[in-house]
Amino acid sequence: MNNDKKIFGIAATFKTPNEIIIAAKKVTSSGFVEFDVNTPYPVHGMDSAMKIKPSKLGFVTLVTGLSGAAIALLFMYWTMSVDYPLVIGGKPFFALPAFIPVTFELTVLLATVSTVIAMIALFFRLPDNKHPLHDTEYMKSVSADKYGIVIESTDAKFDEASVTDFLKKLNPLKIEIIYYPEEESYPIFQPKFIMLLVVIAAVVSGGTYLMLNKLMYITPFNWMMEQDKLNPQHSSELFSDGFGMRTPVEGTVAKGFIPYPYMGQTNPTEVLSNPFLPTKENIELGKGKYFTYCSPCHGDFADGDSRLRGQFPNPPTLHSSRGRDFSDGMIYHIITNGQNVMPSYASQITREERWAIVNYVRVLQRAKNASDSDLIEMNKETGSNVTN
Amino acid sequence: MNIDYSQEVPTVAGRLTPAQIEELVAKPMETKPNKKYFIALSISVSLLLIGATFLAFSFYYGTGLWGNNQPVGWAFPIVNFVFWVGIGHAGTLISAILFLLRQKWRTGIARFAEAMTIFAVMCAGIFPIIHTGRPWLAGYLTPYPNQHSLWVNFTSPLVWDVFAVSTYFTVSFVFWYVGLIPDFATLRDRTASKLKKTIYSVFSLGWRHSNRHWTHYEKSYILLAGFATPLVLSVHTIVSFDFAVSILPGWHTTIFPPYFVAGAIFSGFAMVVTVLVFVRKIFDLQHIITLDHLEKMNKVILLTGMMVGYAYAMEFFIAWYSGVQAEQFVFINRAFGPYAWAYWIMVSCNVIFPQFFWFKKIRRSIPAMMVIVILVNVGMWFERFVITVTSLSRDFLPSSWAYYRPTIVDFGILLGSFGLFFTLVILFTKSLPVVSISEVKAVADGAQPTHHGGTDHE
Amino acid sequence: MSQTDFHYQKKDLPASLSKIGLLLFVIGTVLSLLAFFVDQERAVFNYLVTYMMIVSIGLGSLFLIALEYIAGADWSTPIRRIPEFFAGVLPVLLILVIPLLVFNHDLFHWAHEEAVAEDKILQGKAPYLNVTFFVIRTFVFITLWSLFYFVMTRNSRKQDQSKDQTLTKKNIKLAAIFIPVFALSLTFTAIDFMMSLEPHWFSTIFGVYFFGGTVVAALAAITLVVVKLKEKGYFSPWMNDDHLFSLGALLFAFINFWAYIAFSQFILIWYADLPEETFWFLTRWNGGWVYFSLGLIFIHFLVPYFALLTQPSKMNPKRLKFIAVWLLFAHLFDLFWLIMPNMGSMKSGYVFSWIDLVFPIAGIGIVILIFNYRAKKDNLIPIGDPKLKRGIDFHL
Repeated sequence: MNNDKKIFGIAATFKTPNEIIIAAKKVTSSGFVEFDVNTPYPVHGMDSAMKIKPSKLGFVTLVTGLSGAAIALLFMYWTMSVDYPLVIGGKPFFALPAFIPVTFELTVLLATVSTVIAMIALFFRLPDNKHPLHDTEYMKSVSADKYGIVIESTDAKFDEASVTDFLKKLNPLKIEIIYYPEEESYPIFQPKFIMLLVVIAAVVSGGTYLMLNKLMYITPFNWMMEQDKLNPQHSSELFSDGFGMRTPVEGTVAKGFIPYPYMGQTNPTEVLSNPFLPTKENIELGKGKYFTYCSPCHGDFADGDSRLRGQFPNPPTLHSSRGRDFSDGMIYHIITNGQNVMPSYASQITREERWAIVNYVRVLQRAKNASDSDLIEMNKETGSNVTN
Repeated sequence: MNIDYSQEVPTVAGRLTPAQIEELVAKPMETKPNKKYFIALSISVSLLLIGATFLAFSFYYGTGLWGNNQPVGWAFPIVNFVFWVGIGHAGTLISAILFLLRQKWRTGIARFAEAMTIFAVMCAGIFPIIHTGRPWLAGYLTPYPNQHSLWVNFTSPLVWDVFAVSTYFTVSFVFWYVGLIPDFATLRDRTASKLKKTIYSVFSLGWRHSNRHWTHYEKSYILLAGFATPLVLSVHTIVSFDFAVSILPGWHTTIFPPYFVAGAIFSGFAMVVTVLVFVRKIFDLQHIITLDHLEKMNKVILLTGMMVGYAYAMEFFIAWYSGVQAEQFVFINRAFGPYAWAYWIMVSCNVIFPQFFWFKKIRRSIPAMMVIVILVNVGMWFERFVITVTSLSRDFLPSSWAYYRPTIVDFGILLGSFGLFFTLVILFTKSLPVVSISEVKAVADGAQPTHHGGTDHE
Repeated sequence: MSQTDFHYQKKDLPASLSKIGLLLFVIGTVLSLLAFFVDQERAVFNYLVTYMMIVSIGLGSLFLIALEYIAGADWSTPIRRIPEFFAGVLPVLLILVIPLLVFNHDLFHWAHEEAVAEDKILQGKAPYLNVTFFVIRTFVFITLWSLFYFVMTRNSRKQDQSKDQTLTKKNIKLAAIFIPVFALSLTFTAIDFMMSLEPHWFSTIFGVYFFGGTVVAALAAITLVVVKLKEKGYFSPWMNDDHLFSLGALLFAFINFWAYIAFSQFILIWYADLPEETFWFLTRWNGGWVYFSLGLIFIHFLVPYFALLTQPSKMNPKRLKFIAVWLLFAHLFDLFWLIMPNMGSMKSGYVFSWIDLVFPIAGIGIVILIFNYRAKKDNLIPIGDPKLKRGIDFHL
């Protein structure tokens, strides 16, 4: 016997479950606390023999299960009704019945997985392959078909000789003294081993990179980009003319589009009449659009004072009598069709916006050539006192 | 044969001692596989490779190689998915529900059935993923903050499926592993090979068979079983929701959840019996997986078969009773329409043939039960086929009716899934204990103290 | 151990039980008769609720007896007499059902010929939903239940003297045959007496839904009696926590089962949103009914679920007794929720009336009287059953 080693405990093995129960009872009643029973399977009645309190594992399950349910419900509430609410199948955003399946699944998932992890890590303090009981004859026999009890040296009443005597009285098959194993260093924590891991990681990732990118020229996944479909403004081999985009069939009209009947005529003999009343909103709209599209050439007040400083021929003022005599329809026609160097704005300004611009031009024209009666009207409305 | 009802039937036959049990279970892992093993393995691997080849073709050329087309877009992949998920239900059922019902006979078959669950769910998981046509994008099914700022649709039964099946797989796996820990420890302590010892040590986590641990361990088993039981029900319930929340006649009917669950137990038990019959013979486990256990499983098959029959009848009756024309048509169409052949295979295999299990002789005869359980497996596959295909092929609009025909690629992938399943099963039998050593030891004769400690007269 | 040499001595139930039963029965009957004269329709509907409650307790008990036989369970053998006594109400149903058949016109819309003549859907259902076939079905089912009840309990009683094991074997066979008979008859009873109250509505799971409630009610009744008898010393010294735990666990399981079925039915109808199905739930959302619908979730599921969730609570006699009474009420509440909103004047919302309270009084009286009558004749424990010793020594 090597007396230099530190004793972990003294173990006794028994042949039948009845014997181990009696032994456990005697050990408990003799006042030992730091002892353990090792059996190849749970023996009924052992918990009461050892006076072990019922497991508290259920609390872990309860808490994690309830939090699983709460997390699931809150998360679904947040995604489906707050972050990105979508009407799906006419159901409310917070469609509780439809959330129950996922809530249930997450409850079960969280509860079971955390129960098992908590059991192994917190209750068992496993993994522990360095425990002194491992690799002993005792462990081998209780792993198979014997029933063993160990009184540990940490117990207050532990004394090698008396404990051995005590256990001998229980009439065991065998008594074994178990020592702490000599300290060994685990290879996993050696710096050399960690270095090896780093090197392996670097070689594998570097090799994969070179292999895929430099030797095989495999591009990364961009399945969304490279789809077998026609892309706008791209060529295609599908059509003989090589164009990906198609022109509409002749005589067809896009949905919502109202054709303009006088397109291409420089001096139409008849024009449309203005379908929009010059309401405040309409004029506001026209003002906005005028400043965006018209004012660069026509000037902010339609005086023809282009901001382009001669880079483009200045248009005439719209306050001339010719301009003022244009019907609404004619101005609309000019915006739609273009005139002289002015191009057509039909594709940039919608129909409604064009009519709104017409209304706004009328506002400018009237403001520039206001009559006295207008002034009286204005003073009346604003309460000011402006004279001509 | 007269049974003495005053005595419990021993769970382990032949009065085996714990050492003998351990010897029997550990033997396959300690002996070199023989020729037959390799023949079986090569057959199943070939099937797996056939499946893999067809799958590779499908990936390369696209899912157009399959028979799926308008209006039957949910053909073989969904049928196979539901079929395999159903097979996967027996394992957790045996380990959880029978555990809660304190059916000791479960100990002999639980480990194997749990392993089959895990393998079957793996087979099942393949199908919805490949059915999307872009399996590499399967990650979009998980709700994570992404560049599209979109979330998955939590009101969709397909998303419920993702949660249900992945939870089911995880929990089954955890359950299975927790059961394996003491067995790994036992194997660790009996092996002579150093390599094996290291591997077993790692997986046993240093388990010491300590009673202070067993207390928590047993509690955790109850808790896990308590969760796994509703989980089992929920998984196939959610699978049934895939169909039943729609408004398609033949899919939308309220009995679907319990009906699918009963069907899953039915098919799962049939598959377990199919495999166990071979396993107990090959590995000499007749004393641990006894004829009594098989008979009990056959009784469950009979019972669940009748439940499935009840659901068929109820669907038919309520379809007539409802007075809804589309409902009535669907069921007449199933039984007498173009897919009548599939329907009658389903009815005869699932409802009629299991009725033979009313006879004790047939319940206890290995060849007879083999025939019936294989028929049940066939029948349950056809049940899913009938549900999925007949309803889709003829729905509300007669102008869009079409007859669905699977292609050879469909069959190849189905075959491949069987190959995967059996390959995993065969590998499992040689690498892990097919029977829970510690659990069977605990129910063997004389394993438990006589009334809480023999001399105890308190 | 002392438990091994078990001697049974018949000990009668307290004499006050029959008096209480009679008192409840008389008071209930008088008030119920009064109710018939006040509001006949409401009285008939209420009568139906109480009738279905009695069916649930009797038929659920018979099912649990059959379940014990086919499952080979031993823990429940010592208390099997309790469900046997409860199942004694089954033959009495032959009489109890008569008022429902007489007043079928008040209950069933489909029994109105002029209504059927105008309604194409009801015409389609007429081969099933007609008074003649309905009466035949009802009597066939009750006769079948009574037959199984008589034969199975007679075998059990014979065994008290003969201790003949072949009787157990016979009962196992009978039980196996009973299960499919039970499934079909229970389903069609549920369809006939409850689903057809709203003849346009249909749900394939309805039979299973009623089954869930039935077993909960029967188990609750059994648990209540077992705990009471244990407290009064009828089951001492052998009855232990594990017997109670088994009852509690079964109750817990079936509460969950009921909730599962109820949720399945609701979510499928809610999700698909088809008008021919949703109106049934919408009726139960009208007026005061919404409180009944929401209350059902709490009364029939959440409260008993959390009350029985932990392991100690499943074997706590006080808790079990309370939950048993609670669940009996819950099932009654469930039946009330199923049946009453179909009454013409109640479709738009619930209106309280004293009539709703009086019928269960008579029902409780009837069940107590029959239970007491059966308990007087028989031993409280099946002393001849071969599984009895196993059941008495039962430990988890």
